[in-house]
Amino acid sequence: MREAMAPLGSMMLSSAADLGGRIIAIFARGVRTLQLGRRVLLPSALALALMFGWEFGTRAAHLSSMIIVPPSAVFAVLTASYGILLQQAVPTIVETLIGFALAAGIGIVLGTTLMLFRRVRQALYPHVLTFQLIPKIALAPLFIVWFGVGPTSRLSLAVFMAFFPVVIATIAGLLSADRSAVRMANAMMASSWQTFISIRVPYALPHIFAGLKIAVTMAMIGVIVGEFVTAQAGLGYIIMMASSGGDTALTFAAIILLCLFGLALYGAVALGEWLVERRMGVTVTSGEF
Amino acid sequence: MTSGSASQDKPIPEAAYALGLPLVLGVAVLVGWQLAVRLTGISPVIVPAPTDIVRSFGSIAGDLLHHGWATGSEALFAFILSVLFGVAAALLLGFSTLAFETFYPGLVVFQIIPKIALAPLFTFWLGIASTSRLSCAVFISFFPVTLATMTGLKRADVNALRLCQALGASRLQTFVSVQIPYALPYFFSGAKVAATMSIIGIVVGEFISANAGLGYYMLRAQSYGETAHLFAAILVLCCIGLFLYIIPVQAERWVRRWWWN
Repeated sequence: MREAMAPLGSMMLSSAADLGGRIIAIFARGVRTLQLGRRVLLPSALALALMFGWEFGTRAAHLSSMIIVPPSAVFAVLTASYGILLQQAVPTIVETLIGFALAAGIGIVLGTTLMLFRRVRQALYPHVLTFQLIPKIALAPLFIVWFGVGPTSRLSLAVFMAFFPVVIATIAGLLSADRSAVRMANAMMASSWQTFISIRVPYALPHIFAGLKIAVTMAMIGVIVGEFVTAQAGLGYIIMMASSGGDTALTFAAIILLCLFGLALYGAVALGEWLVERRMGVTVTSGEF
Repeated sequence: MTSGSASQDKPIPEAAYALGLPLVLGVAVLVGWQLAVRLTGISPVIVPAPTDIVRSFGSIAGDLLHHGWATGSEALFAFILSVLFGVAAALLLGFSTLAFETFYPGLVVFQIIPKIALAPLFTFWLGIASTSRLSCAVFISFFPVTLATMTGLKRADVNALRLCQALGASRLQTFVSVQIPYALPYFFSGAKVAATMSIIGIVVGEFISANAGLGYYMLRAQSYGETAHLFAAILVLCCIGLFLYIIPVQAERWVRRWWWN
């Protein structure tokens, strides 16, 4: 603004105002960069401060390595025994992926079926809702009775935990289609298949992806708790054994690997959401858990 | 295709279908289950008949009450704590931009990672007393409350906020009369997630290490092959879960009614 006003004044004033304007512009740009930087800098600074505090706090306090270990010790374990950790990560990752894929597939198919057949929906939906609300983790011991301590019982638990959010999200999404859009499609003599594909599915996608994000987390919880309870193999088993054996560094290393994998899996679903959104041209707004 | 084109000339009203069909299905499943168990003669260790499960309620009522009380009270306590902490954190982040920018990315990361993996660590640090299970459950269920409430506070209608500014409302007045009403539905959806998560945290804690509680009791029943007792314990746990879930649902209803008046 001052730059725009500058030519109006006399020569002296103009150059002074020009200089002032330039300084203000530079200052404003700096503030803007700083504001942008704050969003990155502040969390990074917090993370760094926590790491340093943890590292030097544990060293200074001379705490037993069984209670807490500094991050450097965890890193040392990660680099020293990454072979065995990755080997143990394979069953956990494979079971989570298969469990999630099964839950997503069965959930979307069943949700669509329930949407299409009203009587079936009326009969089943209250039961699905009840199952969604109960603590399904309680069934872990039952799956051990039925399927033993092998991967089948962990997989079943993962599918069972991840499946209901997908069903409910699919039904809610397909039913959320704009009524006037459906009516318009009817008026334009669209077949029910065309209405389904071009109206109901795009409306349902944000809901389905929100359900899938919950399902990813739940499948992982199912596998990890299954590994806690069955104690055969996997990162959950490592965490369980290492923590009861007092090997806190190994426990932390396994937890960090699990967390990285959880983030990657969630990121993959979010990426899928983004790709579908771009392809279908729909705005996927939901996403908060 | 959907309920829009409902047939109105049928003698049976729609409400009867909505109520009757799930009931009929439930009864049919139970009867089929009972008949299948009796006819195939399958071992009660694998699948007990529904009547066996009902009968076992009578024989282990004392156990169920004792362990159910341990799990239920801990889960309720964890739920209350996580709601209190969650709201306090959300208010802090909603008020202070500095705190928001510093903590928000970390909160999102912690929301996504499988926090249940830390359950054995809590047991190791805090022992098998209820403190370890409580901390684990609060740790799991606190993040959904914070993130949901904060999202609500941040999503308050911009026009309403501008109106408040134009009318010269103080920060606190704006907060109470605009941001909090906007945040309430978000808060309650977060509280519903927390209700589910807190009971997961307690039960997993009991799986790992406990000397009381339904998680402990279920694992013991499983290893003794008392599957009917296991089913009975699962049913009690489901009732506790439903009860916990009803708390935020009912609270939301009350708050909505109170707000409208």
